[in-house]
Amino acid sequence: MSVTNPAFHIARPSVVGDENEYAKMFDPRPVGANPALPEPLAPTNPVPEVMEALGLREKPNPPHTCQSDLLNGLTIRTWDNRKNLFFMTFRDTALKSPFNAPHYPAPTIRVPRGVIFHGQTKGKGPPPHTIHWHGIEPTPMNDGVGHCSMEIGNYTYQFQPNFIGSYFYHCHRNTMQHFEFGLFGDLFVVPPDAYFASIASTNPDGTVNLNGVPVGAGSDGKFRIAANVAQFPQFPGFVGGDPVEGVKNGDPHAFTVPYDVEAIWVTDDRDSIWSDLASDAFTTFPEFGSQPGINDKFFNNPGKRGFFNFNDFRADYWFVTGVPVPAHRGGVGTIPTGNIIPPALNSGVSGSMVDINAKVNQTILLRNLDAAYNTTRVTYPVDIVIIAWDGRPLGVPPFGRYNHAYLVPAGTPIINSTARRYDALIRSATPVSGFAKVDFLDTRGRTRVLTAQIPINITA
Amino acid sequence: MKRREFLKYAAGGLSALVVGNSMPWLLESEVFAAVPAQTLNFTITDAIKDMATNNDINAAQCYFWIYKDTRAVNPLPAESPGPMIFVKQGDTIEITIKNALDEPHNFVVPGMFDSGAIAPGATVTKSFVVRKTGTFLYQDTLNRPVNRVMGLHGAFIVMPAVLTGTPAQRVTPYRTPTPAVQQLFNDLGSTAWWPGLPWELGDTATDTPAFRQYIWLLHQASPNLFAEVGNFTAGLDYPADQFRKKFLDERFDRNAPDRANSVPQYFTISGQSGHFSHNNPFLCPNNRVGEPVLIRILNAGLWTHSMHIHANHVYVTSINGVVQDNPLWVDVFTINPQDTIDWLNPYMRPPDVPNVTGVGRADTPLVSLHGQPVWPPNEEINTRIPDGLFAGAIDLSVQLSPLCYPMHDHSEPSQTSQGGNYNMGMISGMNFTGDRNTAGGVTTFPNAPLVHGPGPLGVFPPSSGV
Repeated sequence: MSVTNPAFHIARPSVVGDENEYAKMFDPRPVGANPALPEPLAPTNPVPEVMEALGLREKPNPPHTCQSDLLNGLTIRTWDNRKNLFFMTFRDTALKSPFNAPHYPAPTIRVPRGVIFHGQTKGKGPPPHTIHWHGIEPTPMNDGVGHCSMEIGNYTYQFQPNFIGSYFYHCHRNTMQHFEFGLFGDLFVVPPDAYFASIASTNPDGTVNLNGVPVGAGSDGKFRIAANVAQFPQFPGFVGGDPVEGVKNGDPHAFTVPYDVEAIWVTDDRDSIWSDLASDAFTTFPEFGSQPGINDKFFNNPGKRGFFNFNDFRADYWFVTGVPVPAHRGGVGTIPTGNIIPPALNSGVSGSMVDINAKVNQTILLRNLDAAYNTTRVTYPVDIVIIAWDGRPLGVPPFGRYNHAYLVPAGTPIINSTARRYDALIRSATPVSGFAKVDFLDTRGRTRVLTAQIPINITA
Repeated sequence: MKRREFLKYAAGGLSALVVGNSMPWLLESEVFAAVPAQTLNFTITDAIKDMATNNDINAAQCYFWIYKDTRAVNPLPAESPGPMIFVKQGDTIEITIKNALDEPHNFVVPGMFDSGAIAPGATVTKSFVVRKTGTFLYQDTLNRPVNRVMGLHGAFIVMPAVLTGTPAQRVTPYRTPTPAVQQLFNDLGSTAWWPGLPWELGDTATDTPAFRQYIWLLHQASPNLFAEVGNFTAGLDYPADQFRKKFLDERFDRNAPDRANSVPQYFTISGQSGHFSHNNPFLCPNNRVGEPVLIRILNAGLWTHSMHIHANHVYVTSINGVVQDNPLWVDVFTINPQDTIDWLNPYMRPPDVPNVTGVGRADTPLVSLHGQPVWPPNEEINTRIPDGLFAGAIDLSVQLSPLCYPMHDHSEPSQTSQGGNYNMGMISGMNFTGDRNTAGGVTTFPNAPLVHGPGPLGVFPPSSGV
């Protein structure tokens, strides 16, 4: 019994007879091709037209279609002025300057429930790319996972979002690198009358004229999120619905609750050694050989493309929705106040914020995505009510009849690991001045590596 | 697949021992390479394993300690993890364990059985009665966590004593389900939103097993550190604190060769990774819409994983033996070291495929501009990608059927092998092989019995080592 003379040898399974599936796992095609969308429908998403009417983007072409271009390099100086961090980003090329530039995180996409969404995607840099619409569940080609269907040059993704809630989108190619380097953005499914409610009329050329309804609000002028908060009467304006059928064939506001203030948190961490040594987007791309499973190769470039340490992640810079956390490993950093997300990067919605600045007796919606590779443990200075996880509202029939929204008292930690999202409501009758404490816990050992403090100010 | 073919799939930690004679459905299920065992008989020993990589720069080998099945008749091949063990609540289990390594080892089913320390060269035989139901990580608890992480672990599954339900009280995986979990299992196959089969029922006419369930045992392997442990002074335990520190936190040195430190380089699901865990009918569920499955996730290692499944949200029905009062419906869940987590996957039609009502129900699909319903997505199903691409004489095209979706750790450093090789890490998936609820009855998509098996013509290739 020893390393050099073990009792048994366990062989790798053979790929003979299965070479096609094996090769597609790591070298999916078509590279640079433009596969046609199968089962195409006419898109009905009103958001691009509303954005154009706001003066935030060019006229949609094709109509009702969002554009994403990837990947685009972006260098951001670290808060301590020690390093340049390299980012890979999406770009919405239809936005007006300066918002058509690369941006981290990518522009937030909002889409009303029930419409046909078309996302026209162009890849460059390493020719193959995808967009995975995380939490959205369409057919495999529209799910954007290369090895399950295909990678792209250009492609128009199609789906119909069926559940209101918080999702995100990211490239699913060389994901340990591309996701870490910033190829992601938020994706929010909003109530079915949002955006439509802001359109006064449609012109013959397809452009629209707006009325006075705030963009993103419903026909009653209120912003709403899916929830069942019948047990939490502190949140006024909740609309219930059929206890069995839920939202089917009903009021577009069934099982929603209005909110006054929206906060968007995307916690993220970066390893600057990866940024230094693996900034080439081809890094460790394998390609199949003449005998897949036997003589496959990596791109033959032992320099930047040969970084074989993607198993070894050790964060040293942190961000909350793109705002740097000014602290080093082991420390505590507080992000500044006053971070408002521009409407151009927020599907036309005004006033969404990172740090929370609200009034007493306002309902605050908090959307929290962990885009870090580490786990977060968040402790709030106020009570919060969790109304949804992963775009699935708790307690909303029929699929939510097995669960329910729940209170997390102030000071009680919530664990959120990579790619999980929760939506929470906050409402205080008394002023609050404090911080949400976000502890980043290393996936390797669960030790705290940093605390980010996000200001929460609720004033009279 | 014929019964006699099962053993050729029994490599790779995917084999199961079914104790006693009370669960014939498990032996008949094509989802498990299951063999019957009247008693358990293990030898604690070691092995060198060829791990998955695309890279031909080295052999990608890793040293493990293993629980080797040493029953007298047709013992299962060597592997880490050890065989899945299926028992029924109330069974009496007789187990014999020999320690062939040179330090003390044991065999523990947490909360149920502890063999006690077994001296080098010694053999013990004991028996115990199974009192609990659910998902357990059997393991060597000595010199914690070294012996467990070195490979001495496996899945121990306890099914309830009563496996016949009624429409009002369907079988769940638990002796004492919560009202919420009981309602969930009652509703599968009986409600407008989940037409199809309940979990406890199969359908021989469609080759659908009952009690559909899959086991994803997560692990991380460090070839440098495992070899160091294997080479440590005979008869002495490798220092556990040193093991933990090296495994979790040995620093990267940019002047050292690639992967010179003791951080894990292989991230496996039931011993397999990449293609071998994804395109694998024993790990990746292959079922039709309306055939719900249970997925049992265990973490034998020391890293936290954040497991994301595409195509369906899943209900978290049990966490570390606690059946949930408030089962969340999620697409990602946190799996900490030693966690045992159960997911109920409803296997509903992917809900964001366009339909008339647009609220997540399997309603009438919209009609495409080409005049066909968008579900089943026949244009997509009939697409071959990459069409016309060859490696030598080998046609590399794949038909997009069955409908293929991944399941993977979203904390992506684990999606690697040897520090690169994206997609060769901790990944499996879920495939749709048809739909029980299409007009005209049950639909089965092309190729369902082939690569994506299991089925009468399953061709998932045998290990070259068997």
